[in-house]
Amino acid sequence: MSAGNILVWIVWFAAAAGCIGSALAVVAFRNALFAALALIGNLISLAVFYLLLSAEFVAAAQVLIYAGAVMVMFLFVIAYVGWDKDIAWTGGPSWQTLGGVVAAMALLTELVVVIALGATNELRHSNHVSADFGSPASIGRLFMSNHLLAFEVISIVLLVAAIGGVILGAQRRRRRSAGVTR
Amino acid sequence: MIAAAAWVCLLAPLAGVIAIALGGNRLSRRAAGYLATSSTAVAFAAAIVAFAITLSHAAGDRQTTTTAFGWIETHALSVKLALLVDPLSLVMMLVVSGVGTLIVAYSIGYMDGEDEERRYFAYIAFFVFSMLLLVEAANFLILLVGWGLVGLSSYLLIGFWQDRPSAIAAAKKAFIINAVGDAAMVLALFLLIQHTGTLDFGAVFAQAGLLGTNAWVINIVAAGLLAGAIAKSAQIPLHTWLPDAMEGPTPVSALIHAATMVTAGVYLVVRTHPLFEQAPHVQQTVAGIGAVTLLATGAIALVQTDIKRVIAYSTMSQVGYMFLAAGIGAYSAAMFHLVTHAFFKALLFLAAGVVIHALAGEQDMRKMGGLRKRMPRTFIAMLIGVGALAGLPPLAGFFSKDAILALAFSGGVYDKMLFAAGLTGVLLTALYSFRMLFLVFSGEESELARKHLSKHRGGEGPRWMTWPVAVLALLALIGGWLQLPGAWHLFSDFLGRGATLAVTREWLLSAVSVAVALSGVWIAWAIYAARTQRAPKAPKALVEKLYFDRVYDLLFYYPAVSLAHLLGAWFERPVIERSGEEIGAGTLAGGRVAAAIQNGLARTYVLLVAAGVSVIVLLFLVLR
Amino acid sequence: MLGPGIAWYLAAGSAVFTIGMAGVMLRRNPLIMLLSLELMLNGANLVLIAFARQHGSLDGQVFALAVMAVAAAEVVVGLGLVVAMARRKIEIDADLLSRLRK
Repeated sequence: MSAGNILVWIVWFAAAAGCIGSALAVVAFRNALFAALALIGNLISLAVFYLLLSAEFVAAAQVLIYAGAVMVMFLFVIAYVGWDKDIAWTGGPSWQTLGGVVAAMALLTELVVVIALGATNELRHSNHVSADFGSPASIGRLFMSNHLLAFEVISIVLLVAAIGGVILGAQRRRRRSAGVTR
Repeated sequence: MIAAAAWVCLLAPLAGVIAIALGGNRLSRRAAGYLATSSTAVAFAAAIVAFAITLSHAAGDRQTTTTAFGWIETHALSVKLALLVDPLSLVMMLVVSGVGTLIVAYSIGYMDGEDEERRYFAYIAFFVFSMLLLVEAANFLILLVGWGLVGLSSYLLIGFWQDRPSAIAAAKKAFIINAVGDAAMVLALFLLIQHTGTLDFGAVFAQAGLLGTNAWVINIVAAGLLAGAIAKSAQIPLHTWLPDAMEGPTPVSALIHAATMVTAGVYLVVRTHPLFEQAPHVQQTVAGIGAVTLLATGAIALVQTDIKRVIAYSTMSQVGYMFLAAGIGAYSAAMFHLVTHAFFKALLFLAAGVVIHALAGEQDMRKMGGLRKRMPRTFIAMLIGVGALAGLPPLAGFFSKDAILALAFSGGVYDKMLFAAGLTGVLLTALYSFRMLFLVFSGEESELARKHLSKHRGGEGPRWMTWPVAVLALLALIGGWLQLPGAWHLFSDFLGRGATLAVTREWLLSAVSVAVALSGVWIAWAIYAARTQRAPKAPKALVEKLYFDRVYDLLFYYPAVSLAHLLGAWFERPVIERSGEEIGAGTLAGGRVAAAIQNGLARTYVLLVAAGVSVIVLLFLVLR
Repeated sequence: MLGPGIAWYLAAGSAVFTIGMAGVMLRRNPLIMLLSLELMLNGANLVLIAFARQHGSLDGQVFALAVMAVAAAEVVVGLGLVVAMARRKIEIDADLLSRLRK
């Protein structure tokens, strides 16, 4: 157990605590604003994980785009809609709550079991990776060669989402100006 | 040639049925009657042809078998659709088709104007076909088919007037009691198949000796056949259906319940006599049952008030004589009496039908009387009929009944007891038959008679009704002369199973029986015609028909009905009917539970997906 | 590799994923549901990155980036729906939108 190892372990546990704690917070908070902020915390913890796993570009993208842009958009909408409405925390048919908890626990248990079983053989080894593993250049190279199609399709998806957003937002005004009440 | 004639004889009435059925409403009612009559007449012609050709053969060579096709062909059992034409079946064929034609012709007049006339003629032609199938059968299975079809025709014809509940009940009673006999008969046939491996008459009778005398197998077989015969021929104890069967139209009573169907039992016993001879105790039972029946039913006939019921009980009594004869081995005597009985019994029924028809359906003899003035020809016909029935010479019944009595007397102790019973029966027969005659025809004209008969234009009935009666009267007059003791024995020679007797013995016995009969006539005359004596009070037991119906009700009917009610209340209603409702309710409830999953919330659907995924993962883990 | 083995990262990713799934099933506020959905996607991303590291192949990271982009697109549409609900003065409650039943 070298010092570097111990340090990595400590960082890992810290990030894990942050990750899981904030995840629970997202699910548990009644106030949507606090839940969104908790999610931002979760994203940051995950970015730490990514760094530990030599995925620097993904970590940067996570922080910049996900936590930076997407979550800010979330916060805008939460601000518009309001965050302390008194909606029930949960509801639905009586078996929904219990069933949800049970199903989630069951799946988690099964996944942990699978991982534990796999950890004996396949998950022990991990390759040595070069220094530019996870660098923007190597990922860019992949996007432009092997995964060019995925790259283009993603851009179309984003375009469609943008158009959808505009339409969803602009519908009301068009109807009002047409003067047709529904 | 004989084969062709046999097939024509069998199938002509069937063709008549099919023609009437297909014609339906397009046929006029009269046309249906003509079709039925002509088809039976064709059968009679064919029977005559077969008879003539068979006569031309030498005495030992009078058996012809004709096969259509193999019906059951397995290596264990082979049964063919085959007809047998031999003297015994020829006698039956001639009687059935001959008397049948006369009666069907009579029906044209009797059933005139009936709405359902076509159905009637189809049924009656079907009956003639079934009966011919029965008597022409060459093996037990075809005979059983004919047996069953005859029972069916009887059911259909007894219950012909479907809107009368009494008729429907009588039809059911006849069918059920016959079914009891049929079941016993079928068991006997199963035993025969098991022990002889065949159902052909020739083969079975050839092996009869191998089955052993008085072995339990042959006893049971004979007993089963006897049970079937008793049910079909309405002998005690399976006789209760025949009086009720008088609910059917009178020609039906004449044809089925006097001349032909009830004699099928006698035919069966005579046909299967090799089997009965191997089971002597059963054969003695045959004679005993015949004797008991002829006495009991003769006594009951004394107190009947319905004209048709008197004749019905008389039928049972006379068939008892035939059973008696078959039981003592006097087969040709039994068959001879069968033939003469067909003549005079049909005559009696048809003449009674003329009376009933003239009185617009009245059958109670107490309301009749003095009809002799207005209906002289019917009176003569009926006089010939009852004379033949009572056994007065030179009418037909005398010769046949006497042959039976003489043969009974010549036997052992048991046979002599049977003779005593038969002689007593002669007295009873004369009594009840002449009682009927005098009640209906002599004395003062009753009110009813005056009301109805004065309307008649003097004729006694439509021509279609009177001519068959005349023919039958002639036959009842001279039919017995086929077998003149001491002179010739045409009948028994033909049948080949005759037994001759010392001439003087026979004449002495005949004299005794005639004297007994005449004394019965005299008593009846005294009470009912001249009214010089008062009729004795009818004993309750006789009026109640010896309580047979009551006993059967107690033993079978009431328990069955109570059981049905019990099952209905305890099982059928709570379990079966409820289960119908509850399956419906259960399905609805199940549906409601399933519908609860479809609550429209996306969250619920996510839950369901998650649950499904966890189950699948679990399966993967387990099945690794 | 220094620190915990891949198995630990996988466990953490599974935990985040199932917590997010529970959130989707339990919460009624559509905004919270969307946030939980993001949690699920992120949990999956972590697993992808971890496997990429184990196999030394960058395909996993590329996949994770694609997931991120798609998640962003999906959030746009989802939030657009919530805003439309708010504009029509409908209560922000996912259980009121139960038209799927018919």
